[in-house]
Amino acid sequence: MHELHHPAPPSYLGMTAQELTQDILQVHESPGRQFWTVAAILGGLFGLGIIGFILLLAEGFDDRNVWGYYATTFAYIFIISQSAVLVSVALRMAKAHWRRPLARISELFAVVGLFNFFLLIPLLWVLPVTDGRRSIWFNWPGHSPHLWDTIGLGLLVVCGLALLFFASIPDMAAVRDHASGARQNIYRRMAMEWTGLPHQWRKLNVGLSLLGGFYFMLLVVVHMLISVDFAMSLVPGWKDSIFPAFHAIIGFQAAVAIIIVTMFILRWKTGLRKYLEVDQFWSLSKLLLALSLLWFYFWWSGFFTYWYGRQPAEQSILKFLMFETYKVPFALSFLLSFIMPFIILMWNIIRKTIWGPTLAAGIVLVGTFFNAMRFYVPAYSIEDSSLHAIEVAPPFNAPGVADILVIVGGLAGAVLAYMLATRIFPIISMWEMKEGLLLQRVRRFMKIQIKVLAKPE
Amino acid sequence: MANKSVLGLFDNADTAADATDVLLAAGCEQGDFDVLTGCPYPEGAFGEKDPVHHIYVFPLIGALMGLSVAFLLTAGTQIAYPMITGGKPILAFPAMTIISYEGTLLGAVIFTILGIIFESRMPRPRLDPYDPRITEGYIGLLVTCPEEKLSVMEQALRRGSAVDIIHEKGRALQA
Amino acid sequence: MQERVRLTDVQINRDLLRSIFETPKWYFLLVGCLGLVVLVGFAAAGYMINRGLGVTGLNRPVFWGFFITNFVFWIGISHAGVMLSAILRLVQAEWRRPATRAAEVLTVFSLMTAMTMPLIHAGRPWRVMYWVFPYDFARGVYPNVRSALVWDPAAVFTYLTSSILFVYIALVPDIAVLRDRTTGWRHVLYSVLSLGWRGSVRQWKLQLIAGILLSAIILPIFVSVHSIVSWDFGSAMSVEGWHSTVFAPYFVIGAVHSGVSAVVTVMIILRWMFKWENYIRMEHIDALAKLLIVVATGWFFFFALEFIFGLYSLEGPEIALREMQVFQMPWKALFITFLLTAYVIPVSMWLVPKVRRNIPLMVFTTILVNIGMWIERFIIIVPGLARKQPFTFTWGGYTPSLVEIIIITATFALVSMLVLLFAKVFPLIPIGDAKEGMILHDEIKIGKVMVPAVMREE
Repeated sequence: MHELHHPAPPSYLGMTAQELTQDILQVHESPGRQFWTVAAILGGLFGLGIIGFILLLAEGFDDRNVWGYYATTFAYIFIISQSAVLVSVALRMAKAHWRRPLARISELFAVVGLFNFFLLIPLLWVLPVTDGRRSIWFNWPGHSPHLWDTIGLGLLVVCGLALLFFASIPDMAAVRDHASGARQNIYRRMAMEWTGLPHQWRKLNVGLSLLGGFYFMLLVVVHMLISVDFAMSLVPGWKDSIFPAFHAIIGFQAAVAIIIVTMFILRWKTGLRKYLEVDQFWSLSKLLLALSLLWFYFWWSGFFTYWYGRQPAEQSILKFLMFETYKVPFALSFLLSFIMPFIILMWNIIRKTIWGPTLAAGIVLVGTFFNAMRFYVPAYSIEDSSLHAIEVAPPFNAPGVADILVIVGGLAGAVLAYMLATRIFPIISMWEMKEGLLLQRVRRFMKIQIKVLAKPE
Repeated sequence: MANKSVLGLFDNADTAADATDVLLAAGCEQGDFDVLTGCPYPEGAFGEKDPVHHIYVFPLIGALMGLSVAFLLTAGTQIAYPMITGGKPILAFPAMTIISYEGTLLGAVIFTILGIIFESRMPRPRLDPYDPRITEGYIGLLVTCPEEKLSVMEQALRRGSAVDIIHEKGRALQA
Repeated sequence: MQERVRLTDVQINRDLLRSIFETPKWYFLLVGCLGLVVLVGFAAAGYMINRGLGVTGLNRPVFWGFFITNFVFWIGISHAGVMLSAILRLVQAEWRRPATRAAEVLTVFSLMTAMTMPLIHAGRPWRVMYWVFPYDFARGVYPNVRSALVWDPAAVFTYLTSSILFVYIALVPDIAVLRDRTTGWRHVLYSVLSLGWRGSVRQWKLQLIAGILLSAIILPIFVSVHSIVSWDFGSAMSVEGWHSTVFAPYFVIGAVHSGVSAVVTVMIILRWMFKWENYIRMEHIDALAKLLIVVATGWFFFFALEFIFGLYSLEGPEIALREMQVFQMPWKALFITFLLTAYVIPVSMWLVPKVRRNIPLMVFTTILVNIGMWIERFIIIVPGLARKQPFTFTWGGYTPSLVEIIIITATFALVSMLVLLFAKVFPLIPIGDAKEGMILHDEIKIGKVMVPAVMREE
């Protein structure tokens, strides 16, 4: 069995910098008719979402139960989009060469984050004040979660957009140099007089490192804010110190999954096949496997401590969220976020294909939705958050027509935002690919061809 | 006719790699020579045949055995002497999971080690030619062939610039 | 900056086997002193077993003090081995090469030392047999598999066995080097231990697979061991500050933090002792320090989670505990010291590149981290017990006795001594790895500059 049979070095290493630039720009400039058709369909679905939203608005903000699935949609998009930006940041910190084709793919999710920020606004009206119930704000003046969560998420969105923008500057310059007329004007402004001088590169690298580090820390904090303020603190008796970390891990897992799926779609529908090869899928699949295992570990830590302690309040939480009222979403999320990805990705031979990681990633994305659903829908179905513990569990809140419309519309809007962003920013980061061309060589070593990776430090 | 082995010693990797071509030209098959080195080289660097192994079976078997033993231990002991502690059921699956998990992994590790040793064809009495200089940076090309072809292979090794030819086990270096 | 020197196999063998073939005079003195401290520790333990646990500072309600803190601390140190060896092997980081064996050996010895702690803590250690083995005695009582105290031996034993086997199987090629360079009884010993290793393609390939496969299997064990130790506390209901869901990952990442810091300390000391400047280079220390920044910050996040959610429900007993930890002396001093030494000072220093490449400062910061992490475990364990009961008149305090202090010191001496003894028998830096690193090292010309590079098979 040739499990150590190494995949061939990436085919783009044979290209020159000019060829690479031309190739990517060509895809960027003419996406094809199918692109606009899909965008139009998504626009229509987003319109349906708005109708659903208006139906929810008609019911008012007093009954939180109505907004459960809206909150789920918001949380789902937040989990995926904001963590997706982190994949580029983290891999850049780890200096992995295989991340180069997916850097921009990951950073573009910051635009989806912006779209998601607007979804937050109605939820601020639904969220009750902290008086009389538990919260991490410890009875600070009434606006605490509303104010700080908005600031936190806003700051995160701005930071993500800044990352996307600054990481794209050299590519804006490349587009500027190949464009003409009004388009050239726009890109000239966005490229901010970039000429590729050494001091400009140095500043860019330092800036991206600092922004990246800041983004990482802020993302984890905002995960805590959203998960605690919008879910945990609404459920009486739910004191779970691992939940913010668990929420973040779900985010990381979903982030890797969405990037795998995006890469698959790009391979299928665009001329960018040669950049997104088995190496990218293989490396991300290892991350996805590790994160699926971590999903289980974090879930287990929480479940186990509750199960072992036999405290009545915590036993009620277990029954409510996992084993009685919401057992179907829980079972689905357990199956789709852990068991199936684990079984699929356990085998190296499957990890080294294109379809294997994509299948697992698709399953994980569905599982993440059920994860979001099993936290936020129950949280919003609780009438009185100031109780000490759940005495009578509210019934399962099945989605209505408005809820389905909102979910479909929200997801469609997110995908549409991403697609429109790719019209502005080239989806493959040209400057990082060209840097890769410089730093990677293929040469003969004794009787084999081997890749050589430079380690400039 | 019995197979015999002869070891050609080379003082650098490139010479050794080139010598494999000489060997192949002299009638040696790709599977008839082995490369002895003091440290791992990238796979295929000497043009050697990729060895076939079945190592991955071992951790699977080990894991299953470990799981069974641990599960039987926990379930069996609790059923034999049922005691309710802390309001938990007699067969408390979360608690049993932990010891079963450890048992599974322990079984997997032990069987993996056994598998590595077995698949590496160890422990092995040193009957084949070997030279301690291999751990000093020399490369050894060990050719195994029928006795009548042995001198042909020896000539091929010398043509390939072998520093030394060894027919039997070498002595240890002085420290 | 071109740091590395191209070395031949002969030079590598000579350098890395120096600790085995040449013994500097200070070695015997050092091992002797450490051995003396260990003996005094054994004597103290013997005294305690003879007189009973009353000679320690333990009393109602604080039944777990220095010994259990030390137990958790050494289990923590043991996590460095897997972190560096397994994870860095799986991501193919080149800078793991000198660190793996020292880290794994530290793991094995610190695990063994950690296991002695609950053993002597039992007061009558021979009775631990009833607790661990499923031996049907007349009372018909089996070990309760629902107890975290039973999962502990299962986990630690699994981890210890796996680590020992992992160290051994990776050591086989290096033992072969020793076999080829010794005579007499040592040659016989090394021949037997090397299992007839010859260095064939098959054997090296399986070594590579062994490294990756065992790393992948040991990683789940590593995560579970410290999680189970954390559930010694997390599964308790009556002690304030212990029933928290975050304990498992919190302890694991704390273990990685203190363990990797300990490995850095050990590596710097070994580099100085055996003159391994060509093998443990500044780039390795630099990379480890950067890893530590990330790990330390992650640890701090989990610490913050534990603290915030401890107070989250605003229950009286929990507030009393936190007040004690943060505002009452001597806990206030310990708390501030712990925060400064475990996170604030080291991480802010490591952010400065010059510090990361400064040997004395790296030793200073990594030792500081371990002082802080020892205090952290102490702060988790004792205040919770001291404020355990709801009635304030049953609250208690804890003062460690001389016996405990001697025994704790002896554990540090024991681990150091064992690592030094190991260095006398087997090479602490993997020779095969060092040689492979030399082969895979390359350079690329980019413009006018030669940039160091590494050859990679995939």
